[in-house]
Amino acid sequence: MKLRPFRLAVLGLSLLIPAALCAVVLFLVIYSGQAIFFNGLHFLTQISWNLGDMYSDPVTVRGVQVPSGANYGILVFIVGTLASSAIAILIAVPLAMGAAIFLAEVVSPKIRPILSMLVELIAVVPSVVFGLWGIAVLVPLIGHYLAPNGSGYGLLAASIVLALMITPIIASTLLDALLQVPRENRESAFALGATHFEVVTKAMMPMVRTTLIGGIVLALGRALGETMAVLMVSGGGLNILPTSLFSPISTIASFVAGQLDSAQTDSTNMSVRALSEIALVLFFITLGVNACAKLLSTGALRVRKRA
Amino acid sequence: MMNLLRAGAAALAITAAVGAVQAKADTTSVPLVETGSSLLYPLFNLWVPAYTASHPGADITTTSTGSGAGIAQSLKGLVNIGASDAYLSDSMVKAHSNMLSIPLAIASQAINYNLPGITNLKLSGPILAGIYTGKITKWNDPAIAAANPGVTLPDHVIIPIHRLDGSGDTFIFTQYLSDSDASWGSTVKFGTSVSWPAVAGGLGANGNPGMVAAAKANPYSIAYIGVSFADQVAQAGLGQAELLNKAGNYVLPTEATISAAADSFANSTPADERVSMIFAPGAQAYPIVNYEYAIINTHQASGAVAKAVREFLTWAITEGNSMSFLKKVHFMPLPPAVVELSKAQIAKIK
Repeated sequence: MKLRPFRLAVLGLSLLIPAALCAVVLFLVIYSGQAIFFNGLHFLTQISWNLGDMYSDPVTVRGVQVPSGANYGILVFIVGTLASSAIAILIAVPLAMGAAIFLAEVVSPKIRPILSMLVELIAVVPSVVFGLWGIAVLVPLIGHYLAPNGSGYGLLAASIVLALMITPIIASTLLDALLQVPRENRESAFALGATHFEVVTKAMMPMVRTTLIGGIVLALGRALGETMAVLMVSGGGLNILPTSLFSPISTIASFVAGQLDSAQTDSTNMSVRALSEIALVLFFITLGVNACAKLLSTGALRVRKRA
Repeated sequence: MMNLLRAGAAALAITAAVGAVQAKADTTSVPLVETGSSLLYPLFNLWVPAYTASHPGADITTTSTGSGAGIAQSLKGLVNIGASDAYLSDSMVKAHSNMLSIPLAIASQAINYNLPGITNLKLSGPILAGIYTGKITKWNDPAIAAANPGVTLPDHVIIPIHRLDGSGDTFIFTQYLSDSDASWGSTVKFGTSVSWPAVAGGLGANGNPGMVAAAKANPYSIAYIGVSFADQVAQAGLGQAELLNKAGNYVLPTEATISAAADSFANSTPADERVSMIFAPGAQAYPIVNYEYAIINTHQASGAVAKAVREFLTWAITEGNSMSFLKKVHFMPLPPAVVELSKAQIAKIK
């Protein structure tokens, strides 16, 4: 009886988060409704994006008012988002694993807290700082030594900047997990004559696989939604799919940020609705990626239990 | 005697205090908020401290958000002054008849290039349209060579850089291409964001600082950059192109050529002042020149707010238009005839 107010309060607070999420989704769906109707499925499959001519009279297409020439296709941005995030994960995971294993196994426990704090510090560096570093250092380096046409802006630059931003997220979750592995497991593996490498790969890594996947999911969430840093180094690809690591790209989040200002001058408001439809797509992509990763990690859990 | 003196002093003090209160009441501060164009933002930041110093009680907050946000927030009544590089479109005015576009100053734009060893490049609207649509891909293209006799142009692919964020610079650049090149005018058209044709090697950059950085980092690139960034452009070692104007002369953006363009429009600017000054007719007129606008809702929250807005804007287009402010951001003052038109529009703010 005494606990009731407490329970109610906790229940209310815990419902607040899903309620906020539902409210955001509901708002996006309602707000972009007209755009979803106007765009149909072409939205996801077309590569040309045009806000239309806002300085001539709006036209009526399928019963909706839109700027003349308006055409919204976001395939380029979906591909840019998935490609840059995937490459960023490919770069970040080995780096993060190396860093975490080094900190857990090689570094003496006395200086480990200092080094692990440094890793965590990188995770809180604002993304605009990474973007500036990208423009000032990374882009000229890529342009000078790697890119065939001399431009360092594009998929590779965006992926590397993203990779650096997410490496500490994966590394610090993995490090925590590695430090939790019971001493008995490590020591019995050593007692069986395993080398240090075998101890890490056979006795420790299988125990932290779930956490590793969890860390990767967190990192992927950040990479998919990163806006500012990508905007600064991606080269802003438009109306063309990337064909190489050096092609300019746009990601969904950075593209919305870049177009929002112009969209606000559209008297029919369709541009803003189309951008909100893009946000909805990003939401579902993130949701899908998270769901996949959840499935993967429970799968991994089951395998481990069976073994 | 002492008592009398003391009484006198007290009376004096009281009068002084009352006077102070009255003085304060006269200039009751009405907080105004300005938001919008990142190109106008540095100028507002020069204006506001000077205005506040000479007008006690004035209280103006400035923010840099982008021209589109300036228009949208002024429309919704969230801010008093929306700053925009672009005037309101016809459809916008039709939908919101109480919105004014009031010129505050004159800006322009340079076409900058990163061409090692070349400092005297001449370009035209059709050449730029060719570059930005991918029809002209190399610097030694016959069209560029024809405009630059005697210049040894490199056999190198051109990297055209455009703004990937919505921008008044994109607006006036694409207007120049639309006005001077028929095929651009019928396909890509103009706006603060356009659907840039895919050009192999073409790049998008974020903001004018991003344009300068991208042009500097990419030899053989070309970019359009607001003239406020002239100092950064010079530091980056970029070249400035002479542009073909309507009269058929190649001109650099200088105080003289920018004023020539503005003067040629001074008498043809309509009462609502929504006009493009791109591709001006004067013999020495620089072709990419524009009015920087305050986007104002005629219905302000109260009479006091409207009065404060009127006073500030009037100051901005008179004392604020002195070169001591404008020179720092490379803007030019409004011609006298345009100042009168702006004053007439300011009088409509109620």
